[in-house]
Amino acid sequence: MNKGLISFLVFVVGLAVFHNAIFPIFTPSEPGWILNRYVYFLAFVAYLIITNLVLRLKPPIAMMALFVWCLGFYFYDHILSPHVPWTLFITYMMMWSIGTFLYVSQDADTFREFRQPIVKTIVGEYKLARIIVFTALPILVGFATYNSIYPSFQEPVELRTVHPAPPATTKVHGKTYPLESTNNPFRIDEQDNYKDSFPFLDADKHEYMKYVTEGGTIFFQNCHYCHGDQLNGLGMFSHVFNPTPANFIDPGTIAMLQEAFLFWRVSKGGPGLPNESTPWSSAMPPWEEHLKTDEIWKVILFEYWYTGWHPRTFGTEGSEGE
Amino acid sequence: MNNNIKRLILSFLALVLISLPSMALAEMPEPINKDLLEKGKKVYFKRCVWCHGVEGGGDGPSADRLFTRPRNFIQGTFKIRVTDSGELPMEADLIKTVKNGLQGSAMPAWGEFLAEDEIVAVVNFVKSLVQDRDFSDEDEEVFVQDFGSNPWGTTGPYHLGVPQADIDAGKEIFIKNKCFECHGGEGRGDGNPTMKDDWGFPIVAADWQQCWNFRGARRDYYNPFNVVRTITTGLNGTPMPNFKDQITVEDRWKIAAFVNSLCPRKNIDKLTAKPIPDFLIQSVYTEGPVSPKIDDPSWESSDTDGKIVPVSEELAENPKRHYIAMAGQITRGKRNFDPKTDNLWVTSRWSAEENAVYYLVEYHQRFMSEDPEFPDAVAIQWPAQLQELFGAEKPYFIMGDSKKPVDIWKAKFMAKDYNPTNAPKPDGYKLDVSVEEIVGRGYDALSAKESEAKVEVVDSIYKQGRVKVLFKRTLATEGEFDVQIPTEQFVPVSFFQWAGRDKESDEHMAISTWYYTILKPALPASLYYMPPIIAAIFICFQGWLVWMTKRTRKLFDEGKFQRDEVPK
Repeated sequence: MNKGLISFLVFVVGLAVFHNAIFPIFTPSEPGWILNRYVYFLAFVAYLIITNLVLRLKPPIAMMALFVWCLGFYFYDHILSPHVPWTLFITYMMMWSIGTFLYVSQDADTFREFRQPIVKTIVGEYKLARIIVFTALPILVGFATYNSIYPSFQEPVELRTVHPAPPATTKVHGKTYPLESTNNPFRIDEQDNYKDSFPFLDADKHEYMKYVTEGGTIFFQNCHYCHGDQLNGLGMFSHVFNPTPANFIDPGTIAMLQEAFLFWRVSKGGPGLPNESTPWSSAMPPWEEHLKTDEIWKVILFEYWYTGWHPRTFGTEGSEGE
Repeated sequence: MNNNIKRLILSFLALVLISLPSMALAEMPEPINKDLLEKGKKVYFKRCVWCHGVEGGGDGPSADRLFTRPRNFIQGTFKIRVTDSGELPMEADLIKTVKNGLQGSAMPAWGEFLAEDEIVAVVNFVKSLVQDRDFSDEDEEVFVQDFGSNPWGTTGPYHLGVPQADIDAGKEIFIKNKCFECHGGEGRGDGNPTMKDDWGFPIVAADWQQCWNFRGARRDYYNPFNVVRTITTGLNGTPMPNFKDQITVEDRWKIAAFVNSLCPRKNIDKLTAKPIPDFLIQSVYTEGPVSPKIDDPSWESSDTDGKIVPVSEELAENPKRHYIAMAGQITRGKRNFDPKTDNLWVTSRWSAEENAVYYLVEYHQRFMSEDPEFPDAVAIQWPAQLQELFGAEKPYFIMGDSKKPVDIWKAKFMAKDYNPTNAPKPDGYKLDVSVEEIVGRGYDALSAKESEAKVEVVDSIYKQGRVKVLFKRTLATEGEFDVQIPTEQFVPVSFFQWAGRDKESDEHMAISTWYYTILKPALPASLYYMPPIIAAIFICFQGWLVWMTKRTRKLFDEGKFQRDEVPK
């Protein structure tokens, strides 16, 4: 049998067996030092090299180029995890294609060998191949043209600033608060002392837990619809709104903000945002319309207690979560 | 001897007879693991108490503002179980509920939030909140039901490929068992407006056409097993009984196939457990005038996503039905915490000949208003002065703001000769519609336009729990605050809906965020001649390549120059 054909079968059948039978073994839910997808890929490459060497197949250089190119494609599309974005994938594959081309054109002999099947197809020595290629390519080009002319419309992408620069002061219920020097009046103790306390049950014992309970009560009457029972921004109405509600578990939200910033955002809501933060589509109410000043501060206290984050303060840089 | 054998046979028969009706093994529900209570209490009082209350009475701070109230644990009544009606649940049932949440309610999925041991602990704590029953009482024997297995071997997420014959058989069983009395003629839950749960709170039947809101969906929305389980075990605490004696297991799978066939296949967001909205409403260019009749085949299209089930040939040219997510307006003024509609479907066509655009707005509503003071209504909102907006700028999405007014097309309607307790009416009810055009400069600054009406509702109907309203307006009008709708441009649009039966009016309504709509141009003629031209050019290129390659070969063969040598 033709050795080139055997080599081709070794690749195709090998890939099918490896991908369907062996790949799942190497991708358990908890990858280890041996059982991981990269080791699997190395094993597959080793299988190809060893089989070809042992059977002395010596596939033609054009086929080798095809194998190398396919291995690159397989690696970037299936092995590398998580999958790289589409544009990056194209870039990688361009580099990989150039590399493959350099490999076949390293000297005149290999390059001629590489060209040979292509030239033979073009001049018609491989008759069937020429018929197939020369009919398929114009049809593909026609389809590609059709697809590119067909009018299609994607919704416009809109960018927005999530945390806009706060104003110097904010006026809530007739009183003006300078944001830089305002603190939560209900933060009467170190938050971590109450990590394991119970809302409701300990509300009578500790004043701090009383405020947390009151804040939680307000949260679960008003805020959970959007910000969620888990404070992760996935409340029952969250999917409706765009921008989506803030996720307080995320280290990029309340964990890096001062309480006074939250106080401003909660009091003024969507309509209080500057234009770069799309105030017209934010569903955040100006809570000063619905809540008292004290209630706003208690909700903020509760949000930090529940998530375990600490508000950002002057002097200390970061904050710690659960 | 003879007598003994007789007695043996008789007692054996009696045993078979006794065990026949149940066909399930009796066992005890897992007793409470007291070692876990301390840990479970910690989780409960941090995560659960806000809705379920300090004593588990389903009366936490949030309870009164939720429709589908939080579960009251005290009576030990749990809806989603594998045990017989009225019985306590297995521990695995409760664990699954906590892990997957209850879709369509405020109960989120905790599986990715809490650790496995925390979930087991909190479930045991919840069991300890049951006061009226005792998980270790001998009388609390439970019968885990036999559900058979999926006869078609369909797989998730969409469970497609059930034979039509079984779906049709399921429909027969649906009719025979009178499921429509509560679930309505087409399963939209529009059968019975008077139902109450065990605690006297109003309750509605499931809408089968929105299976992502099934409480027992377990985040596997299209799995017919969910339906089989509900038919077999009923839903404790609700009017939903079990049908295990009336319907055989095989037939339960068929009815499940029917129920499932009603639910449009949509791409369901893993995080929010709701279909992903179609943020661009594409209005299809129509040759000649657009049909003003909703029943016309040109308005027909599938709710199912064309990427999941390919659109059939005859519908391929028709506009797509766009899914618009709705929520209660909980931002300004009088807030609506329990909207009864959580989505709209919008289809659109436009005609250059008529110079007009049509929007068909549909939504599910179990029961219509009977009070003329609170009619049902649905509205489309536009920026009133589109040309004044810069970039992505829009008016405030809740009825505009002082600087950027909105143009609201509001259709108010009452169903004619309607009685919510009527048997399903396949022809539907005609609607008495009136249209209002409103300029909004904020929810508290609305004014009706004085100029003559330009927006028309050309057709409308309420049929089997679904409202359909077809709006029409000319693209360009005279009014200062009329939106002037351009073609081939993205135009912001959003929607409001009022349920009259729940006394919704003004800003007390359901609302969507801003979407975009675009009036798509007619397909360019170049679409038909360019591909062959380009293909022909490519064929010429191929010919040139062959000619060049052959010529080069000839040059080599004639020895004009050597291979791999740069020709001088």
